[in-house]
Amino acid sequence: MAKKIVVDPIPRIEGHLRIEATVNENTIIEEAYSSGTMWRGIEVILRGRDPRDAWAFAERICGVCTTVHALASVRCVEDALGIQIPVNARIIRNLMNATQQTQDHLVHFYHLHALDWVDVISALKADPKMTSDIAQSISSWPKSSAGYFKDLQQRLVGFVESGQLGIFSNGYWGHPAYKLPPEVNLIGVAHYLEALDFQKEIVKIHTIFGGKNPHPNYVVGGMACAIDPNSDTAINIERLAMVKKIIDDTQQFIDQVYIPDLIAIAGFYKDWLYGGGLGNYLSYGDFPETTLDDFKTLLWPRGAILNKDLTNVLDVDPRDASHVTEEVSHSWYTYTKGDDKGLHLWQGETTPAYTGPKPPFEYLDTDKKYSWLKTPRWKNHPMEVGPLARVLVAYAKGDPMIQDTVGRVLSKLQVGPEALFSTLGRTAARGIECKQTSGFMRHYYDQLVDNIKKGDYRTFNSDRWDPSTWPKECKGFGYSEAPRGSLGHWIQIENEKIKEYQIVVPSTWNASPRDGNGNVGAYEAALKGTPMADPGKPLEIIRTVHSFDPCLACASHVFDMNGEEVTSVRIV
Amino acid sequence: MKYNRINIIGLGNILFGDEGFGVEAIRAFEKDGEYPERVQFVDGGTQGLYLLDYIESCDAVMVFDALIPLDFDRRVYVYHKEELPAFIHRKMSSHQMGLSELLGIAQLHGRMPETFVMIGIPPRILDLGSGLSEDARELLDEAVVQGREILREWLGE
Repeated sequence: MAKKIVVDPIPRIEGHLRIEATVNENTIIEEAYSSGTMWRGIEVILRGRDPRDAWAFAERICGVCTTVHALASVRCVEDALGIQIPVNARIIRNLMNATQQTQDHLVHFYHLHALDWVDVISALKADPKMTSDIAQSISSWPKSSAGYFKDLQQRLVGFVESGQLGIFSNGYWGHPAYKLPPEVNLIGVAHYLEALDFQKEIVKIHTIFGGKNPHPNYVVGGMACAIDPNSDTAINIERLAMVKKIIDDTQQFIDQVYIPDLIAIAGFYKDWLYGGGLGNYLSYGDFPETTLDDFKTLLWPRGAILNKDLTNVLDVDPRDASHVTEEVSHSWYTYTKGDDKGLHLWQGETTPAYTGPKPPFEYLDTDKKYSWLKTPRWKNHPMEVGPLARVLVAYAKGDPMIQDTVGRVLSKLQVGPEALFSTLGRTAARGIECKQTSGFMRHYYDQLVDNIKKGDYRTFNSDRWDPSTWPKECKGFGYSEAPRGSLGHWIQIENEKIKEYQIVVPSTWNASPRDGNGNVGAYEAALKGTPMADPGKPLEIIRTVHSFDPCLACASHVFDMNGEEVTSVRIV
Repeated sequence: MKYNRINIIGLGNILFGDEGFGVEAIRAFEKDGEYPERVQFVDGGTQGLYLLDYIESCDAVMVFDALIPLDFDRRVYVYHKEELPAFIHRKMSSHQMGLSELLGIAQLHGRMPETFVMIGIPPRILDLGSGLSEDARELLDEAVVQGREILREWLGE
């Protein structure tokens, strides 16, 4: 008989995500329903405000992705007002974005996802000498002596014996779906802690160019930082040297720690190729070498793939009303012309109308409306966005760097490209991409230094700063590829104020509920068909959902009012 | 006790009424005075993991925050390190990593600040829309006065 499993909320993510799944008598997932359980209202907050201030609000909607929302926001306002930004501003924004991607992917792999594959408690049983041998066989990273692992293991023992697992609480330690030997688990835990320390360094680049972190300054028309090689307070030679040092260290960490770990861990899970899901992938593209409308210069290309067909990358135009739409058939909103009518984002509406059960409740009525997330579609297709989508679009378009890295990772794992269509493939794509964006950091650093050497210090274009220079009515679209996937901001400006603002964040694509035609969203599709070792400990569900790097805060709401919240798992 | 590196961190989301109290408090604190270089003000927003460095890199930390689980009662609460309430387990963000986890990591790294103080008020309203409620705004001054008194001690003044 089919059973129903409810996981609410999914642990180690930002915001509220609830998964309801039915499993059959063989404990294989038959159907899954993804629900964002809190409402996001940023669109309502932005109405009537000065468009030049929108980025500062947008960067507060999420506790993780501050810079990516600021970036998409200034881009949409500049698009609406026809503002071209100076070369330095483009380079600095790209450098900050590459920094964000790199740091975010690293944190995701080690701190939000690794523990779905690495068993912390098993690491206590590892032999430090054997651990050291394995570590030295996979990487030249210097922290790999038997003594180093022994010390770490002792600290870990003390931590576990103190009874306060803290960051390691809420795990399903000892679950049969964990496959690593204790020594590889110990390497995983060691690098979890090292990465925790290291990630702090990477974002210092944001402080240098954005003036402060975690909420760096952006400005419509460019960047707010001044460049002057001879000034103490501006971006000068000393600060650029700091940036270069951080980039050197970052590339080393990714090459010597992240990528070898990814390959070592994945090698033990090659049989676990579940979680592929839709097979439809979308990327708006990012990292412009000239302007944002010059798509062929984007280092991350734009395109869509349907049904895993890598021979045919389709054109994408988020400005086109027939391309990107949102509907609310299964979402707690109402539309004036029918909830199943896909509206383009310049026609978007945000009218919340909760019709779900009154909390606390057992389960949602998934035949009706069941999520605070709207349902975005590309040409009526549900799409997956994020690292796997970007890597596949770039791979299919023949990007030489991506083809090379993908080829090397696949050959080390001795699997074919079809292995990419899986949870593990998504996780591998994130690592591949992280290596690539750390290379972008160096690329943009070099570009910036070259441009400054030419004597160009300009970072801000003030031509259209004064609202009296604006048209009475205009609209714009700003896009960015955030760590979690394609991000779009659509703005309409009237009489110098924001008339309407719509955001479609990556997690809304991936975590969307079913549409009016019954097509499931990316999480829902990915969970289908997954066997579960123990439905009471839904590690497999968490693993696949985490592989998308969910961020439901921007997708739904911002903060969590509960105190000691523990994920509840119920089997009905 | 004199401390060499002091971080004053404001937490919370300014888009949700009094949830932004911590951030507004450090803004008022910073604006209203001159401070030596070893005092750093940090608008932490709802960040989690990203704030680790600001906790580990100094020897005294003062956090301003909205104390969500308590009911508004027109007073400012001050908690010292040894008396931190259990509700700091509230998950902030950066993927549900809360202040208590950050302190746990700092401990595991052997980099706990020597002293730690938390100052806040229970929120009156948590509705969408920016800006503090009038009631919360009236308590800003007092929170800053309390913070300044502690800071004076920390600076050895």
